[in-house]
Amino acid sequence: MKTFNMLLMANAKQFVREKAALFWTFLFPIFFILIFGAVFSGGDKISFNVGLVMEDDSAIAQNMSAALGQVSAFKLTSGQRVDEMKALQDGDRRAVLIIESGFGEKIAKGETANISVYYDPTQTSSVQILLPIIQKVVDGFDRAMVGVAPLIQVNEQTLQSHKLRAIDYLVPGILAMSLMQLGLFGVAQIVVDRENKVLKRLGATPLKRSTMIISTVVFNLIVAMMQAALIIIIARLVFHVPILGNWFYLIGFIILGTLTFLSMGYMLSAFAKNQQTLMPLIMAVQFPMMFLSGIFFPLEMMPGFMRPIMDAMPLTYLADSLRQIMVESSAMHSHIINLAVLGGWFVVCLILAVRFFKWE
Amino acid sequence: MKAVIKVDHLRKSYKDIKAVSDISFRVYEGEIFGMLGPNGAGKTTTMEIVEGIRKSDSGRVTVLGIDVKKDPRKVKTNIGVQLQTTSLYPRLSVREVMALFASFYPKAASVDKLIKLVDLEDSKKKRCKNLSGGQQQRLSVALALVNNPKVLFLDEPTSGLDPQSRHNIWKLIEYVRSKGKSVFITTHYMEEAQRLCDRVAIIDYGKIIATDKPDKLISQHFQEEAIEFELSQKLVNDVLSAVAGVTNVLQEDGKVIVYSSAVPVTVSALLDLAKQRGFELTNLYVRRATLEDVFLKLTGRRIRE
Repeated sequence: MKTFNMLLMANAKQFVREKAALFWTFLFPIFFILIFGAVFSGGDKISFNVGLVMEDDSAIAQNMSAALGQVSAFKLTSGQRVDEMKALQDGDRRAVLIIESGFGEKIAKGETANISVYYDPTQTSSVQILLPIIQKVVDGFDRAMVGVAPLIQVNEQTLQSHKLRAIDYLVPGILAMSLMQLGLFGVAQIVVDRENKVLKRLGATPLKRSTMIISTVVFNLIVAMMQAALIIIIARLVFHVPILGNWFYLIGFIILGTLTFLSMGYMLSAFAKNQQTLMPLIMAVQFPMMFLSGIFFPLEMMPGFMRPIMDAMPLTYLADSLRQIMVESSAMHSHIINLAVLGGWFVVCLILAVRFFKWE
Repeated sequence: MKAVIKVDHLRKSYKDIKAVSDISFRVYEGEIFGMLGPNGAGKTTTMEIVEGIRKSDSGRVTVLGIDVKKDPRKVKTNIGVQLQTTSLYPRLSVREVMALFASFYPKAASVDKLIKLVDLEDSKKKRCKNLSGGQQQRLSVALALVNNPKVLFLDEPTSGLDPQSRHNIWKLIEYVRSKGKSVFITTHYMEEAQRLCDRVAIIDYGKIIATDKPDKLISQHFQEEAIEFELSQKLVNDVLSAVAGVTNVLQEDGKVIVYSSAVPVTVSALLDLAKQRGFELTNLYVRRATLEDVFLKLTGRRIRE
């Protein structure tokens, strides 16, 4: 027990005395939350600069202009065609609408009148978001003139009893991502120690390898808890992200997640000859997981052919469970499935690590 | 005399390379036993098998009466080991590393006394990464002594050190011997083996080719003294062997060593020969035979890489 405590202390001192490790473990996730939080805290109100050119001064055109002005997603600017087109080209407008002269006359005669929309097709959000909104406004206007009431109306309701903000979605994901990074990088030291013959030197003492490994794992679990606490506290204080679910489950998943990624870290260490080959290996594992596990955006946004990859990644399941527990997001999978997948990864990585790790 | 290390017919191969082939030797209580040989001769492999951190293919090794293959942990508990390691825990202080290692053993020596012994008193709060090469090496000797071992293993303990630091390590090793402990040391430095070791085993290509006290090894192979010089043109060995008093000739890279039982006669005969044949003879000096000469005579090569 004395040996174990001394090793734990040695780990702690080595860790605390390295500023880079402290930064990546504690400050980096906080930066992530603060930056993403700031980006998304404008929240759900996205607005686009839209230019309006009125070349017709009929009453109908005036009404049209007023209807467009009511759309909350538009920041409407009126101006001359030349100026507005220039602004569009300069990127100051996402779209320019032109109501050409004769608009009112054509409608009065019962002919089809046109509103021209100019936009930059490389700005995909203009195409995906702006056009349907404009279409909707025009349709509504159309119907009002013809005098037909809409037969079917979409009634928007969110699933959650409380509203899930972008930051609520993000924080559990960042927690999961931080645990992943801690796990993958936390045991990389063993490869350095092997290279510097520290493992060999320790092997010449009666110290048991199991004592050494367990002390490192326990140390990383302690760091994981501190990291999680810090992330939860900051998210709560700055962005009021709540913990709605069961604390007991939360701690359980944090421990299981950390253990899974530690065993994955050991497995990668087993396959790496030295530090130079280990780092790219860790990167190759962590980047796909970071972006394909629904941490930053929901998996539904990803192309379908990537689903099998996303469905295989343990981070997907850890993030899913943490999200369910922390902010009661809708479940992708049940906790049992998430538990089973994480546990499976843990066991498989552990077996591979034990089988392939070379002590010298 | 009681043997603390007994090695019999030890063999170890890596794939098709025989690192150690049929080595047997003893290390006795209270002696400094040196294994001398060029890099790659099998010194470190042999030492690591005896320490219990490497497995042999065959042969029997006991340390303090304990069979290394059967109970390596018990061996490790009772011996002190220093490896060719650069740094252990770069961000721990000298004292912290010492205390950590002390915790690995059921019984440990006083950490503070050891720090004093290896003269690191002023640096005990220094982080290991900030130690000089000599300090690092003294720390690793101190770590090897932390369990108060009866046998101390030192693998090239003065490799790459400046003369002053090397001298300090030698004094430390001699102090350890004065406490009745045995020291098993590997080295490729002739003078280290000659000056420090009570007995030396010369090892080459995984085989021990001679074992004895350094003086005995020399006197056994050389009654003569060595005359070294360089020649402006190459001469065949036969010409040099014919010179008066010469008993043996060795040539390597333009350097010539002739061994002579009558130095004044040989030197003047050599100078005559040079005048006669019109070549130059430079950098001539005469010295006593050393272990290096013994190695050269036995293997035909110099030990230094």
